[in-house]
Amino acid sequence: MDNLLEIRGLHASVGEKEILKGIDLTIRRGEVHAVMGPNGAGKSTLSAVLAGRPDLTVTQGTVLYEGRDLLAMAPEERAWAGIFLSFQYPVEIPGVSITAFMKAAIAARRKAQGLPELKAAEFLRLLKEKMAFVQMRPEFASRSVNEGFSGGEKKRNEIFQMAMLDPVFAILDETDSGLDVDALKIVASGVNALRSPEKSAIVITHYKRLLDYIVPDVVHVLKDGRIVKTAGPELVERIDQQGYEGLDG
Amino acid sequence: MDSLFVIGRDTVPGCFEALPGEPLRLTFVVLPGTSCAVETEILLARPGCEADIAGLYLCDGDDRFSLKLNLRHDAGECRSRQLFKGMASGRSRAIFDGRVYVGHGAQKTSALQENHSLLLGDDAFVESRPQLEIYADDVECSHGATVGSLDEQQQFYMQSRGIPRDEALRLQKISFLSPVLGRLPETLFNEVITCL
Repeated sequence: MDNLLEIRGLHASVGEKEILKGIDLTIRRGEVHAVMGPNGAGKSTLSAVLAGRPDLTVTQGTVLYEGRDLLAMAPEERAWAGIFLSFQYPVEIPGVSITAFMKAAIAARRKAQGLPELKAAEFLRLLKEKMAFVQMRPEFASRSVNEGFSGGEKKRNEIFQMAMLDPVFAILDETDSGLDVDALKIVASGVNALRSPEKSAIVITHYKRLLDYIVPDVVHVLKDGRIVKTAGPELVERIDQQGYEGLDG
Repeated sequence: MDSLFVIGRDTVPGCFEALPGEPLRLTFVVLPGTSCAVETEILLARPGCEADIAGLYLCDGDDRFSLKLNLRHDAGECRSRQLFKGMASGRSRAIFDGRVYVGHGAQKTSALQENHSLLLGDDAFVESRPQLEIYADDVECSHGATVGSLDEQQQFYMQSRGIPRDEALRLQKISFLSPVLGRLPETLFNEVITCL
């Protein structure tokens, strides 16, 4: 099966307000898609719908992931199936360490997949390896999840979690916002390390910057809840120079 | 003095007094299945005393729990800290009634009182009655009380990492209680965790 994700006629609302007004999008295995667009276009809503955020209501349309009805799955079931969302605003969990958090996440997924529990030593080796990969200092392992982290540290923690969970389909919701160039390169290398013929990603961004390091296969422009333009990576350059004006389909 | 009381198992004295150079540290724990009304007084009657009071209460089923705590600053240059965290589920009722009294002579008092509760069921009830009564004019006193429910953003964040909803709720409760949990010895800590 070539298509990893198939979105058809997707409409979604927050309360009474319709945000997504008919999205069609197909992502094949191995592809990285960039979604760009002005503020309020619905980019974050799209990513949240795919991850299953409960306050969003899908009013029309279907989403198939590996041929399964994604919208019928609970957020944790989506995670077990290999979906990962890097949050635009990562949530703080005081009193729960990064180690405890990741242990719970990995144990739950392995259980769901019918795999035996990871041995403590193996888990710690993985934790150390992935922290080093995103250049997080080892003492972060015992710190509470995102509590008191700077913006950049939170984003780095998202990429660390992504590396730990090794998703099949990653969604990055403005992971680049507020990052300096060094942090941006770490984020990009995290995503690029996941690239393989089986895996895919959606990279949501306002800026060309990140897409200089993660070169997408396909670029979409989302405006007012609809995809108004789809093209190859050359579209990024055009948007960078001319903005979103005139890209109304 | 550093004492821990599991309400229902240990008898709580009606009065504690902090002494200079000997900070009073008290921790109260209420496990599910406890119904009682506890009333106690904490005195800071000599200059330069410190009191550090914390507690957690987990009420469930038909539990009825109330804590009435009267903390008195009668002497100057004393410091008191209070942190109480509670949860109520089922048809339980939990009441925190905390008074901080700062007398005329208790200048340079520093008093802080916090009470935060989670309401975990439609039929559960929590009430927070924080009171400050201050008669000195050179003091630093504050109190805060919140009653809330578990944060849905946190829940979704954990679920999106593959943590099932039930486990996410448990981690959230640990997170909420963590400032008090850190004061418990290991066996009691484990006992509390298994109740969540």
